[in-house]
Amino acid sequence: MQLNFLVLFEGNNMSFLVRGLWVTISMTFLALILSSAIGLIIGLGRMSKNKVVSGVCSAYLAWFRGTPLLVQLMILYYGLAIGMQIDLSASMAGVLGLGMYSGSYVSEIVRGAIQSIDRGQMEAGRSLGMSHWQTMFKVILPQAVRRMLPPLGNEFIALTKNSSLLSVITVSELMREANLIVSSNFRYFEIYIGVAVMYFIVNSSISQGINFLERKLNVEGR
Amino acid sequence: MIKLDSVNKYFGSHHVLKDVSLTVAPGEVVVIIGPSGSGKSTLLRCINYLEEIQKGRIAIEGRPIGLIEKNGKPTDMPQKDINAMRAQVGMVFQNFNLFPHKTVEENIIMALITIKKLKKQEALEEAHHLLKKVGLLDKAKAFPDNLSGGQKQRVAIARALAMKPKVMLFDEPTSALDPELVGEVLSVMKELAGEGMTMVVVTHEMGFAREVAHRVVVMDDGKLIEEGSPAKIFFDPDNPRTRSFLKKVLEH
Ligand SMILES: Nc1ncnc2c1ncn2[C@@H]1O[C@H](COP(=O)(O)OP(=O)(O)OP(=O)(O)O)[C@@H](O)[C@H]1O
Ligand SMILES: [Mg+2]
Repeated sequence: MQLNFLVLFEGNNMSFLVRGLWVTISMTFLALILSSAIGLIIGLGRMSKNKVVSGVCSAYLAWFRGTPLLVQLMILYYGLAIGMQIDLSASMAGVLGLGMYSGSYVSEIVRGAIQSIDRGQMEAGRSLGMSHWQTMFKVILPQAVRRMLPPLGNEFIALTKNSSLLSVITVSELMREANLIVSSNFRYFEIYIGVAVMYFIVNSSISQGINFLERKLNVEGR
Repeated sequence: MIKLDSVNKYFGSHHVLKDVSLTVAPGEVVVIIGPSGSGKSTLLRCINYLEEIQKGRIAIEGRPIGLIEKNGKPTDMPQKDINAMRAQVGMVFQNFNLFPHKTVEENIIMALITIKKLKKQEALEEAHHLLKKVGLLDKAKAFPDNLSGGQKQRVAIARALAMKPKVMLFDEPTSALDPELVGEVLSVMKELAGEGMTMVVVTHEMGFAREVAHRVVVMDDGKLIEEGSPAKIFFDPDNPRTRSFLKKVLEH
């Protein structure tokens, strides 16, 4: 078989792939929002003085970091439906699964960044009469966010790549569209190279975006 | 104004403050001196309850802070009440602890807006008034990283004053400064003392202590070992440990 990259544009192939790419991007984006929220809550929770709160958050981290994403997705989509009659749509299960998994990693990023801020900052806020949470949100987090950006960029790139696993639970994202095309034309090499390039472009854009944000934040004060 | 009654503080099993009792009158300037590790910082931090104590009583203007008696048992006061009391005690740190992501004026107005619920404009007026007082009005829009150490500390003092505290606590406010910048901070502190601010100052600046302090307190190994007028402590101390400490400090 001769290599022919034009098969990417044969028939409706390209429009299927672009449609898949769009699903990939939107699923990743929704998962990213969920992941950030979970990461913030679990990260802060792990530092709580309340033993129950910090215990629950640590257990969350241990579980979601200690089991494969693919297995988590299978449990959410097939497991819940058959075992507990909780029938999530594929994209719902996908966003939840990706978000919860990635949230565990983000929580460590949040915690690390917060702990890297000088203790004196919290004390200064407290000594002015502000509460722990007022100081956390007005003083500590704004400084911590800057330190979170580079590792968050990496995490969101990982999230984009991991979203290809959603093909297994029937979400018609980029990888699944590619699988469907390949199953009829057997052009594994060309199609998957095309798909890889698409992921690569998305991830490069994320890198650029994070770099831009970092520069912008560095210009505005410190 | 401040009353400490047999305050005991432990870090784990490490007994850091041992039965410390101290009364500071309104308008009084008390300087605390003593060797490194004797518990001076810890004592200051207990006064506004940045550190919990395990035994004893602390009161500011007759109102207890932190550990209170409830049904005869010592109990920690609700955080909300501690926060409110803290707002009345200004604290200045050795390392300034300015908020680096905020401009000078934003540093000063943050607590005014957050706690005192001032409008931004009112808060800014107050901030500018205080900056003028510490001679830094022209730096209102600068970021802390672009200030010298002496300027940072003066901003930190202005920030603490913005809450209109009844007491100001200073923990070695000039120790992190280049020698030529010490004077500008001390002169702001002298001015404050002259206005009748109640102050507790931990410092190695013996000149400042002699000139400004009404009373000097000497700490050693978690205990107050001696107190008296600056003249008494510096020229005629009773305790031999005070004498050997002063000898070491004054040799520098
Ligand atoms: N957070 C902490 N945890 C455990 N031990 C502490 C803590 N803070 C202080 N200590 C210990 O308490 C003792 C008193 O410390 P403190 O900082 O109050 O001394 P200091 O008189 O201010 O000394 P310096 O002149 O060096 O500032 C020291 O032995 C110190 O190691
Ligand atoms: Mg100290």
